[in-house]
Formats: sequence, structure tokens, C-alpha cells
Amino acid sequence: MNRTAFSSSLEARNVSFSYRNPVVSNLTLELTPGTVTGIMGPNGSGKTTVLRLLCGLLRPDSGSVLLHGTTPLSRLPRKEIARTIAMVPQSPGDGSQLTVMQFAMQGRYPHLSLFGFETARDEEITKDALEMTRLTQYRKVRVCELSGGERQRLLLARALVQQSQILLVDELTANLDINYQIELMRLVKSLTQERRLATLVVSHEIHLLGSFADRIALMSEGTIRCQGTVSEVVTRENLNRLFGLDFHVRPAADGLLEVLPVINERR
Amino acid sequence: MRRLSRGRIAAVSLTLLIAWVFVALFALAVGSVPIPPGGLIHRLLQYISGGSAADDPLATILFSIRLPRIFLSSLVGAALAVAGAAFQSLLRNPLADPFVLGVSTGASFGTILYSIFAASWGAVEAAAGLAFGRPIAAFAGAVLVVAAVYYVSGGGSHSGEGSQRLLLAGIVLASFISSINVILLTSTSQADLRGIFYWLIGDLSRPVDASIYVVALIVLAGFLLLYLFSRSLNLISMGEEEALILGVEVRRVKAGVYLIASLITGAVVSVSGPIAYIGLICPHLGRMMFGSDNRILFPAVFLFGAIFTLLADTLARTLLSPVELPVGVITALIGAPLFIYLARRRSGL
Repeated sequence: MNRTAFSSSLEARNVSFSYRNPVVSNLTLELTPGTVTGIMGPNGSGKTTVLRLLCGLLRPDSGSVLLHGTTPLSRLPRKEIARTIAMVPQSPGDGSQLTVMQFAMQGRYPHLSLFGFETARDEEITKDALEMTRLTQYRKVRVCELSGGERQRLLLARALVQQSQILLVDELTANLDINYQIELMRLVKSLTQERRLATLVVSHEIHLLGSFADRIALMSEGTIRCQGTVSEVVTRENLNRLFGLDFHVRPAADGLLEVLPVINERR
Repeated sequence: MRRLSRGRIAAVSLTLLIAWVFVALFALAVGSVPIPPGGLIHRLLQYISGGSAADDPLATILFSIRLPRIFLSSLVGAALAVAGAAFQSLLRNPLADPFVLGVSTGASFGTILYSIFAASWGAVEAAAGLAFGRPIAAFAGAVLVVAAVYYVSGGGSHSGEGSQRLLLAGIVLASFISSINVILLTSTSQADLRGIFYWLIGDLSRPVDASIYVVALIVLAGFLLLYLFSRSLNLISMGEEEALILGVEVRRVKAGVYLIASLITGAVVSVSGPIAYIGLICPHLGRMMFGSDNRILFPAVFLFGAIFTLLADTLARTLLSPVELPVGVITALIGAPLFIYLARRRSGL
């Protein structure tokens, strides 16, 4: 199959999902190569559920998630999904006793056969990913000794080791200082462009998505309220509707937007 | 840390296998009738070349009594140890062991039920049914208890608190079923109360019969299958969602490992009774020496289990010689303190 023939890498069509109450309803979203798409919304708006639907951790009640515009995700074995879609979760699991190298190398799992052992090439790929995320010096350090920011970078590194075409990122920058947030988002953005990844970033940091995403979808109560380019979507009216707050939205240098909430405590 | 390679796994396995051979030679030599090294080697060479003297009483002790028992204890230990390692990885809890989880007790329940029914059927027992019937009944009992433990503990997620609940349910159900076992055994007019009592604690002193071949087959096949899951289990021990993201068919692997670990536990318990804590002690040793990568841990623990249980059984039959202790007494004396130590460390006390 010629994958470049399709413009979309991953696509959600009219996807709905509910636990007891509807969590995501009628979601339609398209990720394309070389593009960072951002999903923004307040807490509890269903952002993370969208991410889990898009990598097949959850199965939609109705609608479908399609790979390359044709293959429903639910029909694919997990290994194949993991070769195509990498997800960066919010925090690492119980792997804190592993070394950074061992942890990152887990990303090779979907590429290995049943009896497969990691080869020198797998090690090379892993080292490259650690280099890119500036973790090379910590290769032999245990995961539990890393700082919060280093852990987030490690999760990103493991996703890169999967060598997928689609990258889903869940609140990568939560709990990080602003300088680390920017550094990580820059890395995600440049990787997306260099490797022609289809990237989805979920965040509630308006200023980050406003600066780094190519397209943005605003979500509240399980529904995408509007999506489009940053300048189309990030407007005072939309943000006000989403968060119930007044915002200053100003164009800045390099076609970026400057977004500031108006906090009027000294009335 | 070095990258794990086939070579390293082979080297570790070979070293442990050689260690097992030495322990086995030692176990052959000691007992109520000690056999000096010279006589042992002489008779071994004779045995291998097929020229054993039929009227040599020492050769009879060596090859009809001690040698089968050495293989039996090694087989039982290897199976329980690797089942423990598999359960620990699956439940992300170093305290999970076939005995603690109630799997062993369930298997003995199945075995007892089978022997009661087989005795009343009589004719069936005479046929080859015996060899297969007992391990399979034990397996059924093991699976039944695993399901019950799972249900009682609320099933679902096994992370942190969930897996502690699972262990608690296992311990409680095991004591419940042990009581039923005792009722079943005493009510069926068994004369051999000492034998029953020993078997319930875990005992390897009974004569080995033909079912050992079936048990050996199940254990070896089960070990190979578990080994196929070792890499996936590595990722599952990180967390089930992580494993899914990285491409593991989590549900399939979990079901497979549960069934296989229960099967090999059932198979060996049907001959040895529920020997406690081997599945706790050996994987703990293995992880201390080789880390937690199941690809090297499983073979290492398999052989550790064989060596440890062989030593424990040798101790059991020589400590108060000529009286024999059930091997379960020795393993519990070592395992229970280790359990307490691990539990305290885990809860940060």
C-alpha cells in the first residue's frame, strides 16, 4: 500500500464513546503528516479519552477510527498499531527500576519477533532517540532517579524508538517549568517536520498550543466546538466560551499569537 | 547494564544446570544409608553403561529410590518457582506465589476429589486414566480457585491495592479450601493419616509412579510456553496500559499465563502436595542476581527452583534421619520470614 497516497494518517469519523455518561460525542478529527494538531480544552472535557480512542486503547461505541483513511484500528493487532502509532502517556508506569536505556528500548517491542532479541541496530535507534531528547548522559541511570522533566523526555524518547508515523502526546508539559515546556514542544514540533509525523498534542496550555500547533481543536464537554488553523480558532470569543474567562488575544512576531487571560482581582 | 543476549542466557542456564548436577550427586550420596563418593561414582558408571548388579542393595537405593526422588523434587521445584515468577510479573507483586494465591491449595483440592472419585470408579483407575486424570483434576481445581480468588478480590485492575486484595483473597480462600480438603480426606476412611498429613504440607517421599512422565511433559511444555510470553510479561509488569501502547495483546497474554502457570502448578501439586513458598523464594533470588527481565529470569528461576527444592528435600529426609520431614516444612521455614520481609519492605515499614 502506498501510504503517501493518503493525505490523512489517522482519522476519527463521528466517534462517540461513553462510560455511564457520554464522554466523547460525534468526534471528527484528522491528523496529517508533518502537522502538529492540538486539542485544547478545560479539565474533564474528554481530551485524554480522545487520545485513548485514537490509539485503540478504547473502542468507540459508534463511528470509527481509520488508519490511512481505510483501515479501522479495531481490526489491527496491537503490535501493528504500535508500529504505526506511538503514544506518550502522562507518566511512566512501574518501570522505575529500569535504566533509562532499558526503558527507552521497550519501544522496540513491536518491531521484534516472538524470540527476538534487540540487535545492535535496535540499540542504535534507541541511542539516537536518547540523543535527540538530550538523555544520553543518563543512559545508565535508573528511571526513578530522573527529575520530572527528564522523565517526560524519556517517555518521548521511547515513543520515538517505536519509529511510528503517528505521535500522540498526552499533556507532555504538565507539571513542568515553562522553559522545559517550551523546549519539549520545540522538539515535538521539529520532529514532526523532519520525520513527517502526524502529531496530536493534548494540552490545556493555551499559550503553548497557540505557539506550536499548526491546527487546533477546541473541546468542551466531549465535543469539538471548533477546529482549524490557530488564527481561526484561538479567538477571544472562542476562548471565552470555552473557559468562561476574558482573554487578550494579540498577534505577535513570526505569525504567532499572544494569549493572556484577564485576571481582574483588583476591581 | 549489558544488553541481554542469547549467549548470556545460555551461559547462566548452563552454569545453573552444572550446579544442579553437583547438588544431585550430593543428594544421591547422603541419606539414612550414606554412600561414599568412590562407591557412588563406581555405581553411577555401572548404571550408565547398563551393567548394574541386580543384587547390589546400594544400587537399588541409589537408582530406584533416590534418583527418581531427585528428579521428582527438581521437577516440582522448577515448576512452582517458574509459576511464581510468572504470577509475580503478571500481578506486578513480588509476593504473588502459587501457594499464596491459593492455586496450590486448589490443585490439591482437585487431586483429592479425583482420588475419591477414581477410587469409587475402580475400573477407571486401572487404565491409563490415572496418569492423566490426576494432573488434569489438579489443574481444574487450580483454575477454579484462581477464578474464585479473582472474583472475590473484585477482579479488574491489578495495580497496587488491587493486587494486594488478590493476595489476601488467595490466602483466605486457601485456608478455606484446606479445611474442606481435611474434611474430605478424613471422611473417606483413609488409614494412612500420616501420609495425608504430610501430603497436605507438601511431601516428596511417596514412591514415584508413571504419572511423573505426564507431569514432566506438562511442566516442560508449560515452561516453554511461558518463555514465549516472557517479553510481553516484561512490559505488562510496567502496567497494562503501557503494555498495550507498546503493542502487547494484554488480555491474551494474561489469560495464557494464568492458564499455563495454573496448569504446571496443578500438575506438580498432584504428585507433591502444595509445597509452600518455592515460588516466592526462588524468583526473589533470581531477581537479585539477574534483574527482572523475564527472558533471563524464567530459565534461571526454573533451575533455581530445581536446585533449591532438591536441597530442601535432601534436608527434609536427612535432618531427623531416619525419620523424614515433609519438604513443605523446610520451604515454609525459609519462605514465611522472606514473605514478611518482602511485605514490610513493599509497604515501606
